[in-house]
Amino acid sequence: MDFTLSSEQLLVQRMAKDYAEQYIQPLAEQIESENEVPKDILEGLAELDLFGMPMPEAYGGAEAGYDTYVVALEQIAKVSCGSAMIISAHTLGLGAINNFGTEEQKQKYMPRCCRGEHIASFAFTEPGTGSDPKQITTTAVRDGSHFVINGTKRFISNGTHPGPMVLFARDQENGKITAFIVEKFGEGYSVSKPWEKLGWHGGDLVDVYLKDVRVPAENVLGERGSGYPILQYGIAFGKIGMNAIALGTLLAAYEEAVTYAKEKTHRGEPIAKFQTIQLRVADIAMKYEASRWIAYRLGCLANQTKDYADFAREAAMAKVIVAENAFWGTRIALDIHGSYGLMADYKISRLYRDAVMGAQIEGVIDMQKVIVAGSILFK
Amino acid sequence: MNIVVAMKQIPDLQQVRIKNRKPILDDVPLTFGNIDRNALEAAVLIKEQVGGSVTVVAAGKEGLEDTVKEALAAGADQAYLIICNEQEDIESSISAKLLAEAIKQLGSVDLVLFGEGSGDNYSSQVGSRVAELLDLPQVGYVERIELTAGELVVTRSLEDGKEVVQVALPAVLTVVTDLNQPRIPSVTQILKAGRKPKKVMSDQELLGAVPTPKVKTLSNLAPEIKRKQIQVGTAVELVEKLQAEGFLGRA
Ligand SMILES: Cc1cc2nc3c(=O)[nH]c(=O)nc-3n(C[C@H](O)[C@H](O)[C@H](O)COP(=O)(O)OP(=O)(O)OC[C@H]3O[C@@H](n4cnc5c(N)ncnc54)[C@H](O)[C@@H]3O)c2cc1C
Repeated sequence: MDFTLSSEQLLVQRMAKDYAEQYIQPLAEQIESENEVPKDILEGLAELDLFGMPMPEAYGGAEAGYDTYVVALEQIAKVSCGSAMIISAHTLGLGAINNFGTEEQKQKYMPRCCRGEHIASFAFTEPGTGSDPKQITTTAVRDGSHFVINGTKRFISNGTHPGPMVLFARDQENGKITAFIVEKFGEGYSVSKPWEKLGWHGGDLVDVYLKDVRVPAENVLGERGSGYPILQYGIAFGKIGMNAIALGTLLAAYEEAVTYAKEKTHRGEPIAKFQTIQLRVADIAMKYEASRWIAYRLGCLANQTKDYADFAREAAMAKVIVAENAFWGTRIALDIHGSYGLMADYKISRLYRDAVMGAQIEGVIDMQKVIVAGSILFK
Repeated sequence: MNIVVAMKQIPDLQQVRIKNRKPILDDVPLTFGNIDRNALEAAVLIKEQVGGSVTVVAAGKEGLEDTVKEALAAGADQAYLIICNEQEDIESSISAKLLAEAIKQLGSVDLVLFGEGSGDNYSSQVGSRVAELLDLPQVGYVERIELTAGELVVTRSLEDGKEVVQVALPAVLTVVTDLNQPRIPSVTQILKAGRKPKKVMSDQELLGAVPTPKVKTLSNLAPEIKRKQIQVGTAVELVEKLQAEGFLGRA
């Protein structure tokens, strides 16, 4: 057991940090107010191979492993959760194609995605269902060599970027959930105006309307009627990126807390002299340290896993721990700032809005506990 | 064009803490200095323009093989590494001997680039010493390099102005940080860096007998910074004090 990053991982970490600080940081306020990550930034991230990090070289990926992916994404999220959200949702959709796609599907969709020319999506949530995807109502009707898809998908990341979308619909012939690769912006595809999220500004989130969207039968992902395991895989693997984003937020809050504790003075001395502040800094540090190794380990497990049910349980545990630590750690960092922390001028207020997000996405915290308890009590 | 870049392995300065004015170097990862990265970027840009190869030459401690991956990721084609485990801090005259010998062994070299000074000690000696040992012309404080047929036109950044000089190849240049913005390597370049060719040898293997150091560092202390604790009663007084300290207005 060796809890250290390899020299390559340290370099990848530095690379992501340098890029985020040199190129994204100067635009952070613009991203926050306009709720959009500039195209130049996405192109820059693509040049660094961040859009295909864990994917095989054979399909244009960097084959760097999910652990290295977490290490890099943490540094991007530390500066811009929105940018990291785009990469995370993309990697989730792309990973599903890599895992369940045919050779032809992988050759067709993966290289452009790995180059960042296309950005992938993964769509299961609907107005009527989030935590319980078995209730999916979007329909797929076979029509000769095609399927015709109708329905609405809610809260879809990267819905406004062209590229493949792994979409779940109910096959009307067998009543079962089937996964399809749908090319965004084809005939019948439209999107709502972007949701104005509390945090993670810049990461695009829309509802997607599918009206008689025709998808060729060869775009069924996996077997017809076997979409549910793909969905479970996706929700579990999506948590790898969610953890990295939560971790990046916590790391940024940690740094803000330490800087503020040393700079803000009370009767001429830094507030760090107060034990109440010291205890808070220690709490944040411990939460970060614990979360980081859990998040990296989940990445490591993802590189090796063959058993998705087992991985789903590990991912559920890791997500709860990391999302809650990130939220509470950031909350404590906000306390250190007193009322200043509530002001938009102070970065910690943005980090707090970012830190709230993690608990709800890729399965709410309650559902994760249900998964973990089920694996212990009723297996 | 065969270009050599000499890069020094130094502690990551962003991670060095100062305690009782002494730098704490335990567990601080080793990296290359920022100016050395500018030198490497210049070399890679020239290679991209006219072809050839870029070789990194470095003398340092164990772990140098890991440190050099950074340079190999950022565009160097190969590395020549000299491991000096016996010496605490390699004296400039000895580094220069080691680097000059390594460069000689590389055969035909057209251009040798150094950072103007190393990121840690900034003694600014090694580039000039190597030029002397190799009997090559040297130009310092380089902030711009232009390649013309078989020659370089180089702009030197001086305190009160700029000097433009022409220099025949082969030559040694020592560069300043304004020269360029070093590239950030991609994930693939980082992962492939470890597979690029490396030659590794010890200082003894390279020189036979390594000279005994003649300069000994007695202490290395950060400057003492004391808060001045100047108190002001009014805004006008604050402005006056800031002016007196040279923080406001033109000198
Ligand atoms: C920024 C962002 C990005 C997103 N990206 C995507 C995306 O790319 N693709 C996509 O498909 N979706 C996406 N989503 C949607 C997200 O995954 C869902 O919102 C999430 O799964 C929760 O579903 P819900 O909001 O419908 O909550 P609900 O299912 O309505 O849950 C509400 C609450 O009810 C309780 N609850 C519900 N069911 C149970 C149960 N069975 N047992 C116990 N308690 C229960 C829980 O306490 C939960 O907190 C995104 C959301 C956000 C905010």
